[in-house]
Amino acid sequence: MRLMRSWFDRKGYLEVDTPILSTHLIPEPTIAHFATRFIGEFRPSRELYLVPSPEVFMKQIIADTHRSIYQFSHCFRNSEQIGNHHNPEFTMLEYYTVGADEEDSIAITEELLSKTALPGSPEHVLPPFAKMSVAEACMRYAKFDLEKNQAPADLRRIAQSLGLTLPHHPESWETTFNRIFLNFVEPNLPQEKPLVLYDYPKQIDCLARETSGRPYRRRWELYAGGVELANCYDEERDVQKVTEYYRREYAALVSSRAASDEVIPDVNYDFPKIFTDFPQCSGVALGFDRLLMLQGRHKTIGDLILFNVSAMMADGD
Amino acid sequence: MIKAGQIDKGTALLIKGQPFICVEREFVNPGKGSAFVRLKLKSPSTGQVLRETMKTQDNAEDITVEDRDCQYLYNDGEQFHFMMTETYEQIEVPMGSFPDYQFIMKEGETYRVTFWEHQPLDIQVPTKVVYEVAEAEEAVKGDTVTGATKNVTTETGLVVRVPIFIKQGEKILVNTETKEYLERVNK
Repeated sequence: MRLMRSWFDRKGYLEVDTPILSTHLIPEPTIAHFATRFIGEFRPSRELYLVPSPEVFMKQIIADTHRSIYQFSHCFRNSEQIGNHHNPEFTMLEYYTVGADEEDSIAITEELLSKTALPGSPEHVLPPFAKMSVAEACMRYAKFDLEKNQAPADLRRIAQSLGLTLPHHPESWETTFNRIFLNFVEPNLPQEKPLVLYDYPKQIDCLARETSGRPYRRRWELYAGGVELANCYDEERDVQKVTEYYRREYAALVSSRAASDEVIPDVNYDFPKIFTDFPQCSGVALGFDRLLMLQGRHKTIGDLILFNVSAMMADGD
Repeated sequence: MIKAGQIDKGTALLIKGQPFICVEREFVNPGKGSAFVRLKLKSPSTGQVLRETMKTQDNAEDITVEDRDCQYLYNDGEQFHFMMTETYEQIEVPMGSFPDYQFIMKEGETYRVTFWEHQPLDIQVPTKVVYEVAEAEEAVKGDTVTGATKNVTTETGLVVRVPIFIKQGEKILVNTETKEYLERVNK
């Protein structure tokens, strides 16, 4: 961590430290949240949320300062994400480079990981990175043309021809894509070197900019040793588009959680206004515990996280 | 019916009419995708291994299984013959579904057998078992090339690599999953 800090400092990034408790979050229906309660003795009590990523605050700092920034942050993701590669509380390294796009971020991340690697790190976590587009991976490992199968019904036929069992009700293109991706593509990705998988389908909704004229978004995921280690966006900075994203994703979040006891966090519709004056920038979020797990040749992140909550719960504490 | 997210190691499921037991489970969240669970399932009757990744909200057909004590009698080269200790009823389990089990189970010993309806799905052999050395090679003096180990055969016919000081008639503790020698057992 110290090596990384001095690397970022040398490169002119500003280190920031943003809150873990927030009154509002960015709507992300696929992330389960933690809520806690602020007790007001003389005014109304209210729910506060543990951040699943420091993005909501870091983007406000970029809007205010137009500077490249980084942060090591404790992040929280709820629900069943407990396993060899998940702990509900984890450490995220997030860095935003002003003036850069997602391709620049590949080179930045390669330099960061080569300059700060622990001695004895295995090849599969050391740069240079291999690169492959999602479409190429689909063609290679699931034998289908991503661009020609943009309709849910077409992709459903592909999934069925691959032998997947699908629910009777129709489902979104994105869900079917993830079924194919997780069953046939991801397990077969080459693992000798870290792999940058880029050009994600635009149907997977997020705050990365769309690729003009092609059905993709400008983002990549970094896989190392078969583990998702980092993701990167060319950050969306169109106020209108971020506002639409907020409406769409918040509606999806509320409707998917209304019947359950899952946390529905508040969102702040004023947040998209920060993009009125926001520089071109590319952000990377890297799972710091996972990186150390891979560099130190450990099998689970439980080997690294002292007092990891999964183990505490298993012990009945 | 259960949700795929509820499946755990040891959960028995019916897939396309065939019973499977979950042997490995890991949750995965693809970049910005909803929660999925990656399962490794094994069919006890055929030994077939199935890897499947399902959405945690998908439905899966679980089956109710029951464990019963069964005494292992003998094998005839194709079937293991057991007797249920409660009812004295005899059952057969195809040997092909449990490779190597003829070398790790002891005749006359009682094991927990998992049943689904009347079909035996799984035989539970403890991970660490004490065996008697039935046959041992004589250690050749000064032979350090092989790392000072030799093969012995247990009373069940299991061949285990052990340190050279182990003699015929002695007892050894063996890991039944890896078939590795753990330690010598002194009475």
